[in-house]
Amino acid sequence: MDVISSSFKTYNIWFEISGVEVGQHLYWQIGGLQIHAQVLITSWVVIAILLVSVIIAVRNPQTIPTDGQNLFEYILEFIRDLSKTQIGDEYGPWIPFIGTMFLFIFVSNWSGALLPWKIIELPHGELAAPTNDINTTVALALLTSVAYFYAGLSKKGLSYFEKYIKPTPILLPINILEDFTKPLSLSFRLFGNILADELVVVVLVSLVPLVIPIPVMLLGLFTSGIQALIFATLAAAYIGESMEGHH
Amino acid sequence: MASTVMATKPIALAKASPSLSPRKISIRAQAKPSSTSIPNLKSLTSKLLFSVPSIAMLAATPLPALAEMEKAGLFDFNLTLPIIAIEFLLLMVALDKLYFSPLGAFMDARDAKIRAELSEVKDTSAEVKELEEKAVAVMRAARAEIAAALSKMKKEMTAELEVKLAEEQARIELELAAAIDNLEKEKEEALRVLDAQIDALSEEIVRKVLPTT
Repeated sequence: MDVISSSFKTYNIWFEISGVEVGQHLYWQIGGLQIHAQVLITSWVVIAILLVSVIIAVRNPQTIPTDGQNLFEYILEFIRDLSKTQIGDEYGPWIPFIGTMFLFIFVSNWSGALLPWKIIELPHGELAAPTNDINTTVALALLTSVAYFYAGLSKKGLSYFEKYIKPTPILLPINILEDFTKPLSLSFRLFGNILADELVVVVLVSLVPLVIPIPVMLLGLFTSGIQALIFATLAAAYIGESMEGHH
Repeated sequence: MASTVMATKPIALAKASPSLSPRKISIRAQAKPSSTSIPNLKSLTSKLLFSVPSIAMLAATPLPALAEMEKAGLFDFNLTLPIIAIEFLLLMVALDKLYFSPLGAFMDARDAKIRAELSEVKDTSAEVKELEEKAVAVMRAARAEIAAALSKMKKEMTAELEVKLAEEQARIELELAAAIDNLEKEKEEALRVLDAQIDALSEEIVRKVLPTT
């Protein structure tokens, strides 16, 4: 007991800083419903970062691009290439959706890993990446579902529903199940990756601070970037899949 | 070690006072009931094993002081979901107006311009061949002109020269005739003089030769 309490006092400062509060949110009320305020605040910061950087970099487009314009041209070409590969020739109208999906998730994940959110102390809960909340990822996944339904219906009309019995009618239950597993897997893949990475980093920092967690942080940056790419690619693939096979 | 592991678990015990650092209080509250002697490894692991289900239970049940705030921590769906969806759609519209459309149009225009210039360059190589042929034809015409002019000049010059030549020849002939006439005259003069002298001489000779009577 004395050993434990004495060892506390030496490590007091560290675990005060490095605690993790999983499942604790800052709640705001609107009407009778609650909101996870920390998710909203960090998502506003992410949106602000995106819009400000876009406005600054794309202000006066030059024929020979400057550094910022070059970066954003590269990003746009990357998104165009991704959409074209997955969706096909009619990829034009879908670029804003896929692009915003990729950029929002990427900047959210990297802001959660790189920005020093812990400086701002909330009365309850803490600030972190907005994608570490199940609400965000499920919202994005549901938007993707709506998007690929809209794509299929607007292109094929009601004959879109023929795809449920396409190879054989025996696969009808599986095809219906697919409409539920697609958003489920999208949301949980992103949610699990981001939340678990945050937890691993925090636990490592609380155990062996300073240098040892850095490789894990770098791995976290890499995988969160990949997760953004995967989400956007799958969204584009689902949209392309529901638009294909016409005539 | 076990205490620090317990510190990172999501404990929100608000037993004694609703302070803002529930973890510290919970550790002390948990540490009290243990023995005062230096714990050995066995009691540590047993404490850990005992604490895990208790922590899980505590995390699952709503707590008195924070009952209205604590829900099922991770899978807590509420109004945040539609709000994030609306934020995403607004962000999509904003990014499209500010970034995807303008920069995309600019990049496409630049590509089209470069492609047009490139095809233009390919066409002008045919133009260059045409111009080359024209140049060769012009050169040929110029050379022909020059040759014609040269030959004409040559003809004129020779004609002039011949005229001069003929004139000079005529003059020379005239002079020659005059000189010959002169010589003829002088010859006749000389012959007359000689004749007179011959006459005188022959008289002399006759006087000398014939006896004087």
